[in-house]
Amino acid sequence: MSRDHRVASASAHEPARPPGAELRALLWTAAALLGGVLLQVDRIPLWATVTACLCVAWSIAACLRRARLPGRSIKGALALAMIAAVLAMFRTLNGLEAGSTLLAAMGSVKLLEARTRRDRYIVIGTALFLLLAACLSRQSLPYAPLYAAEAWLCCSAMAVAAHPESSLGNRAAARLAARSLLIALPLAVLAFLFFPRLSGSLWALPNTGSAVTGLGDTLAPGSISDLSESSDPAFRAWFDGPPPPPAERYWRGPVLHDFDGYTWSRPPPWWFGTTTAAAPASRLYRYRITLEPSPGHWWLALDTVLGPPAGLVRLTPDRVLVGAQPVTKPITYSAVSDTRARDPDPPTARVRLRDLRLPPDRNPRSLALGQRLRREAGTDAAFVRSTLELFRTGGFRYTLTPPPLGADSVDDFLFGTRQGFCGHFASAFVMLMRAGGVPARVVTGYLGGEWNPIGGYLLVRQSDAHAWAEVWLQGRGWTRIDPTAIVAPERLTRGIDEFLPDAVSAPERLILDVRWIVAVRQAWDAANAWWTNEVIGFDLRSQLTLLRRLGIAAPRPAQLGWALAACLIGWLAVTGWQFSRLPRPPRPDRLARAYRRLCLKLARAGVARRRTQGPAAYADAVAARRPDLAATARVLLMSYAELRYGPSPPDRLADFERAVARWRISPRTRSARGSRGKRSVASARR
Amino acid sequence: MSADPIPGRPQPRDAEAVALQRAVAALETVILGKPRQIRLCLACLLARGHLLIEDVPGVGKTTLAHALAHLLGLGWQRVQFTSDLLPADIVGVSVFDRATQQFRFRNGPIFTQLLLADEINRASPRTQSALLEAMEERQVSVDLTTYRLPDPFFVVATENPHEELGTFALPESQLDRFLMRITLGYPEARFERELLRKGERRDLLSEMTPVLDAASVLRLQQAVRAVHVSDPLLDYVQALIERTRGRADLKLGLSPRAGQGLIRAAQAWAHLAGRQAVLPEDVQAVLSAVAAHRLEPREPAGAVDGERLAADLLERVPVPI
Repeated sequence: MSRDHRVASASAHEPARPPGAELRALLWTAAALLGGVLLQVDRIPLWATVTACLCVAWSIAACLRRARLPGRSIKGALALAMIAAVLAMFRTLNGLEAGSTLLAAMGSVKLLEARTRRDRYIVIGTALFLLLAACLSRQSLPYAPLYAAEAWLCCSAMAVAAHPESSLGNRAAARLAARSLLIALPLAVLAFLFFPRLSGSLWALPNTGSAVTGLGDTLAPGSISDLSESSDPAFRAWFDGPPPPPAERYWRGPVLHDFDGYTWSRPPPWWFGTTTAAAPASRLYRYRITLEPSPGHWWLALDTVLGPPAGLVRLTPDRVLVGAQPVTKPITYSAVSDTRARDPDPPTARVRLRDLRLPPDRNPRSLALGQRLRREAGTDAAFVRSTLELFRTGGFRYTLTPPPLGADSVDDFLFGTRQGFCGHFASAFVMLMRAGGVPARVVTGYLGGEWNPIGGYLLVRQSDAHAWAEVWLQGRGWTRIDPTAIVAPERLTRGIDEFLPDAVSAPERLILDVRWIVAVRQAWDAANAWWTNEVIGFDLRSQLTLLRRLGIAAPRPAQLGWALAACLIGWLAVTGWQFSRLPRPPRPDRLARAYRRLCLKLARAGVARRRTQGPAAYADAVAARRPDLAATARVLLMSYAELRYGPSPPDRLADFERAVARWRISPRTRSARGSRGKRSVASARR
Repeated sequence: MSADPIPGRPQPRDAEAVALQRAVAALETVILGKPRQIRLCLACLLARGHLLIEDVPGVGKTTLAHALAHLLGLGWQRVQFTSDLLPADIVGVSVFDRATQQFRFRNGPIFTQLLLADEINRASPRTQSALLEAMEERQVSVDLTTYRLPDPFFVVATENPHEELGTFALPESQLDRFLMRITLGYPEARFERELLRKGERRDLLSEMTPVLDAASVLRLQQAVRAVHVSDPLLDYVQALIERTRGRADLKLGLSPRAGQGLIRAAQAWAHLAGRQAVLPEDVQAVLSAVAAHRLEPREPAGAVDGERLAADLLERVPVPI
């Protein structure tokens, strides 16, 4: 009883909902909120998700009369506790994660008091904000359908909440929401294409997403084999013309100069001097690369790149593209490379010194071996040849799971285990070269790539990571030597997965071998590439290109704004015209308006008319709930009934209007009723 | 449901209306605890419609029909339907009269003012359709001669929904001939106690005097036709009917004939309540009785039956303001 009274007074101007409809509206609202929370589930702390679930369960239980909703003080305390928890965890209420957490928590608490339509709108609005936050934090293709589904869910929930008495069925609500979203879709596309894109980062939030895999700036035994277990894409490359043959697909990453006997590393950036331009030789390749996020600064390019692409990137003298910032989101750049070009200039004295330096007290046997080989060879070129001959005939085996090496890693490898992968071979080779007095360095990067015929690009995965060596030879310049290719020549032409069957598990083999699975995989990857390039990567430059193609050469933001406004007006006109063709309910006549006023007065007095109640049934309902009003209400309602349904002369309409206008529900009865209501609440509590 | 008349309008306090109220009161003493069904029966009669009572045996179907006939002063006949019942057993048969050397038509039990057709679903389809034809045409044709049935003519048919063996369910087209289908159901505990204490209710009838006669029933039927039906009410009825059509879960929506029946029944209900105009409440009161047997869910195994469909219909269609 007390409950009914509260519900009625909270939604005096809304028709009372039957309990089933109440539950249905609640379920939809809760589903929308939970959807928003679940989209963020790995970004927000666990307690926020748990709180959301508990609040949903609580409000459903309350709706089923199994539990009592919390009072104002408990809700206030809950809200304060949530704010304190967010502050304790993030030290701020700002930022994407803290904001999402706060939003999820507050939306959940709000659900506990969502009784009126307005409350439900607020909860659904919270869910939409959570969706927005999810869109800001993750934009890859697999999430797009999830986001669309959540938008649909929110709109359906809104349709259910908006409809009086929830007369809209579940399917009808979902259909209505889908139709509304479809109507809005052209507007979204227009805004996406033509909304002035500011080149600054006005809404670029601090990006917390960081890639886990990628080339580092050190090379130790084992680091490449970690990478080779990951089939994540490293980058994709589109070529103008045919791609290079497999044996020339060396993608250059960081070049490592320093060796401590176990780990190769790269000098600090300031050590490098200025870069001289490389002379193009014969084989030029123009291509565009979309680089996936990785922890390093490296912009991968086909060996050897001729110049730095446009962007915040620098070409170091050892021909490495170093970005100004870590690659935290996908970037796209165009470059030109020459696979036959060599760096002709002799290294400067300090570079030479660095590329010859070895730790004196480590790997003594290898040091001696290198010196001996150089002595026996006579020339540098012959020295390289004899060293490679050593690798070919020395009983070395290529494997991704070599035995572990000690601190003198090269000695252990050359004279002990003789098993290793590219990193071991490159490391040992460069060490031997330096021991023989030939400047040499380790180059890391990727080798190969899978041709995707659907998207027309090369997909290079983390598992294609590779390491090779470069030596300085008089007259030839810096020359690429890949000792791995000597030990395992097939590694050049085939992917590492094909080459080492043990490296992948049986299900993975299936994925790699079965033809239609390969096709599906490639199609999916092509779709992903399209999404990353054309949708996520749609920036100011792409927009300008599009506009130029449409005939607008040098647009100013104001022009774009006007164009957008014109499109918006056009869209409004088209949609408005469509809506105007829908059958419209007839305008209420005088009698209907007077009857509505009467119903409103009675609703304020606590008896709302149900949609399906006729005047006589309504009079009965008034008599049951407000006996003090029964007599007048019945007279008025029945004169409405006669005017509407009876064969009545029209002149009595004015009387009815006057009677409705004059009728005041006296404050005495209202206050009397209020105190009675309170008493009943009190008695119910007892 | 309120029985309040529209104020400011002279109430029809003529003799027939008073007698009708007395008939209602008397019926309520015979059939205990079923005021709604009693009013529906009377409304059906006043709307010139036929009535189908579907229920298990022993809840007072026959008593109700008997009391109705007795109190309204109508002549009545009862036919127990069986599978070997022939059309002639109902309609009548021409016999050769030796005295006049001619065939003479001997009226069957259908020539009465109120016919109680007990367990109508036990008869063969041929017999059923003979009866239903007579119901629709209010006349029978035998040997090229047409015989008019008495006026008023009112069929109360009963059927037991739980018996399936050896029965012929009425097809939709024939169910449509019945204006209403009602169920009586078990009485509430306190009324059942009274029934158990006092024994056979039909004995009460012999002590009661009829309150009406055939002529006044006809006048009442005329009066029912005069009850005003306004355009806004027709809007509401059309909205209700529209809602039953084109639905995936229904085999058939309501036909125009069902719509007409709905309005006639609502008129009768309004008249019983002493009103001169039909209100939406009158339509709502008779809707499930008029519509439930005409709405067939597509999957009859489901829990949704006609009654619930009708209730659902009322919940979904708002009363136009």
